[in-house]
Amino acid sequence: MNSAGKALAEFVAEGTEILESLGKELLVLDQQRGVEPEPDIINGIFRAAHSLKGLAALFGQERIARLAHQSEDLLDRLRLGRLSLDDQVLDLLIESLDVLQALLAEAAREESSDALNERVKELGERLANLGTASAAADEDPLDRLELDPQVRSVFTEYEEHRLRENVRRGVALFRIRAAFDLSDFDTGLTELNVRLKPLGEVVSTLPSSEPGGLSGIAFDLIFGSRVSEAELAAKLQGTPAQLFALTVRPSAAALVPVGSAPETPAAPLPLALPPAEAPAAKKTTRRKPRASKTGAGSSTSAEDVAPADAPLVKASSLRAVEPVVPALPASDTSSLPVVRTLTEEPVAPRGPKAESESARSLTQTVRVDISRLDALMNTVGELLLIKANLQRMAESARVDAGVTLSKVWGQDLSRETRQLERKLDALQEGLLEARMVPVGQVFDRLARLVRRIAREVGKEIDFVIGGGDVELDKLIVEELSDPLMHIIRNAIDHGAESPEARLAAGKSRRARVSLQAEQKGNHVLIKVSDDGAGIDELGVRELALRKGLITEAQAREMSRRELLNLIFLPGFSTARSVSELSGRGVGLDVVKNNIGNLSGIIDVWSERGMGTAFHITLPVTLAIIRALVVGVSGRTYAVPLNSVLEILSVKPAEIRTVERREVLDLRGTTLPLMRLARVFNHPERPADRYFVVVAGLAQERLGIAVDELQGQQDIVVKSLGGRLQGVRGISGAADLANRRTVLVLDVGALLEEGMSSERRRA
Amino acid sequence: MPALSVLLDSFFYRPDEDVGLIQEVVAGTDESLEPVAEEVPEEYLAFQLEGELYAVPIHGVREIVKVPSLTEVPRAAPNLLGVMYLRGEVLPVYDIKVKLRLADKAPLVAGPDATVTPPRGTRIIVVQASDGLAGIWVDAVNEVVRLRPSMLELAPPGVGGGERDCVVGLGRRKQELFILLDLWQALS
Repeated sequence: MNSAGKALAEFVAEGTEILESLGKELLVLDQQRGVEPEPDIINGIFRAAHSLKGLAALFGQERIARLAHQSEDLLDRLRLGRLSLDDQVLDLLIESLDVLQALLAEAAREESSDALNERVKELGERLANLGTASAAADEDPLDRLELDPQVRSVFTEYEEHRLRENVRRGVALFRIRAAFDLSDFDTGLTELNVRLKPLGEVVSTLPSSEPGGLSGIAFDLIFGSRVSEAELAAKLQGTPAQLFALTVRPSAAALVPVGSAPETPAAPLPLALPPAEAPAAKKTTRRKPRASKTGAGSSTSAEDVAPADAPLVKASSLRAVEPVVPALPASDTSSLPVVRTLTEEPVAPRGPKAESESARSLTQTVRVDISRLDALMNTVGELLLIKANLQRMAESARVDAGVTLSKVWGQDLSRETRQLERKLDALQEGLLEARMVPVGQVFDRLARLVRRIAREVGKEIDFVIGGGDVELDKLIVEELSDPLMHIIRNAIDHGAESPEARLAAGKSRRARVSLQAEQKGNHVLIKVSDDGAGIDELGVRELALRKGLITEAQAREMSRRELLNLIFLPGFSTARSVSELSGRGVGLDVVKNNIGNLSGIIDVWSERGMGTAFHITLPVTLAIIRALVVGVSGRTYAVPLNSVLEILSVKPAEIRTVERREVLDLRGTTLPLMRLARVFNHPERPADRYFVVVAGLAQERLGIAVDELQGQQDIVVKSLGGRLQGVRGISGAADLANRRTVLVLDVGALLEEGMSSERRRA
Repeated sequence: MPALSVLLDSFFYRPDEDVGLIQEVVAGTDESLEPVAEEVPEEYLAFQLEGELYAVPIHGVREIVKVPSLTEVPRAAPNLLGVMYLRGEVLPVYDIKVKLRLADKAPLVAGPDATVTPPRGTRIIVVQASDGLAGIWVDAVNEVVRLRPSMLELAPPGVGGGERDCVVGLGRRKQELFILLDLWQALS
């Protein structure tokens, strides 16, 4: 890669990371709709937008820089309370994230499309024009705070805003004076901040006007907390901090509306404990006095515009009451947004992102914990030691050539080999671990997609995510995003009913779509379920008949489960209306193929009126798989063990035919049989018994007859490359230890082949 | 001053100095020393197929390897001899003799029913194709030849197999005749 390309790749990787964190914070806001956001989160988003702006400007990505700048502007207004976070603002922010993602994708491809330029422009205008000013309050609550005007004059606009908010909510404010020695005041201050953080919000850190002793420095921390003074004092024991309460005069005019908000019993407690992060507070210490800020267009200067500010307080105090509504049991759900994302755990620390067509990540980078790399490094070091030992032994054997080697030498050798084996195992394991990423990466991206889809089709969805911390190979996680997207689209488009239909059916107004992952031994189970209408298997049957996918006779014999599985056939779709999102009949067969390519199994369950669930079982890693090595006509093939259900020993006499098709009787059910030698045109050898590998993918079962079993082995599957992709039934090749290259069977394709030949015959 | 610059100038390397002559002598491939300075000779890899001498531009060749054990691929195209493992990559190995009408049928060289064991000189030329690496089975690899454009001629009509011509021309060096191949055509 040339240096320009490398720089671009770095930009894309870093940009992706920033957008992920941006997305993660937005997701939190999305989940907390209606609740006043914590200043921490807004600050986090603001910082992410800011870093993206800087990064994009550095790499000459003007469009990204511009849009990031405009978003940052909006966020700044939000941060300073000049704009309230309503649905419109949040939606716009999420849209900006989508556009930024699309821009980054174009940047990665080194393209620049007019359509996107247009969108950036239009979005930028909307960002700039959104809710220019919140109304001002009757009275500036800050005036009620007993604070030295001198101290007050050095607050930044943001600090002032936070202070005002705290006063308005009736949070007790304190001045904490702490003197530190100059030599280590930074650590002392950090410690103090860490201690204070869980107790409340450090609004501002100011150098104290009183000297901190000869070689010392003193700070005044303005701290807002709901914890009582006595408790706070107890918590600060052992620090150099002194506590002074700042008194707040009761509101002169509007005592009722202002005071009521914090005193409402349901006023959510979390609001009171916005843990202001220490670094931000620290950073603000040496800000310019407010005077210069006022010059920059600030309208919230405290002393002179108190009357103008008055409506602001009114408006925000009303806002503060709002959280009570969602806190009630959500009976009146109509006031809720179209989509809510719910997690059954704290949001995974990775963010959503999506572009219009794919939820795949733009970058191939995997972040690896340095401790994992350290462990790998250690293992390599030990391997080198073993190599040295082996070398020494080889040398001694060479010198003593002709002399029979001693028994001790043999024991040494076998010990070293055992060591070598163990270390190689550790190395392999470590490398596999380094490739693992949490599935939450994809889940979060999908959460945003769900919003968009739901809005487009006009449904109300609760999207529930769980198990985002389950880890899978990076490759699998990436390949998984598109299939999951298809299934979720189907769930929203076909599964979930309209709110009216749901109410009529006696269900809650909002449909629930859930995405869960869980680890099951060597596999990961991913469940996508909805509580929608379910799949109408009779409709499926009818459509399959009409499309000629099955015959009458077949349809009569099919169980409900088999009927449900017809939805995975190519060209199948139950959608009455072909919408833009789905219903083109490409969704599920693609899903099945993709899952099959990952050696995964997809299963569908559905109950009419109750909902549908797709279960996807995936191997944890693709890089190294366990395979069954089989022999047929003197050739060797490997069968991925995760698709092998069982192995039978069968005498030729036990093979029966149904309509000239060979089948086996497997505990009362009929198992289609495929002779590998015949399918692959190898000369068949007469045998007095066959081994039948029963392979299963999804619901389909097939017996594959082979001549011999050679055992199990871990193999590294290599793709056959573009030229040989067309060979059906082979998914790749692997090198067995003895320098033999064996082909790996593509069980999915063989099953498909078995089934389609059955259908053809019928 | 001008005198000095002239003096200095003679120290500097000038690209139009005919280094080609020296190189040719070193390579020992062309003694005919035609004084046509603009002609840049190109390097070709010469190899044998059924006794005939073929050549392909060397820049498309990644490496030349001895024949490893090949694994046959069922249901693949008839010109695919098998796949081989080369330093962690799996690549297909093709026969081009059938395409060039040098043989009726690709030899069976892979799998337990292989009828042909590769003679000592047999090599596989690994080329970088548009969709990955591919190997080509040749009877022997001869040398790298440098051919000037003036030594090349168009293939006479009727030479090279089939309607899609994979013989692009002939290269003549004294008495030797090299058949220049378009490998991509030959592989298709």
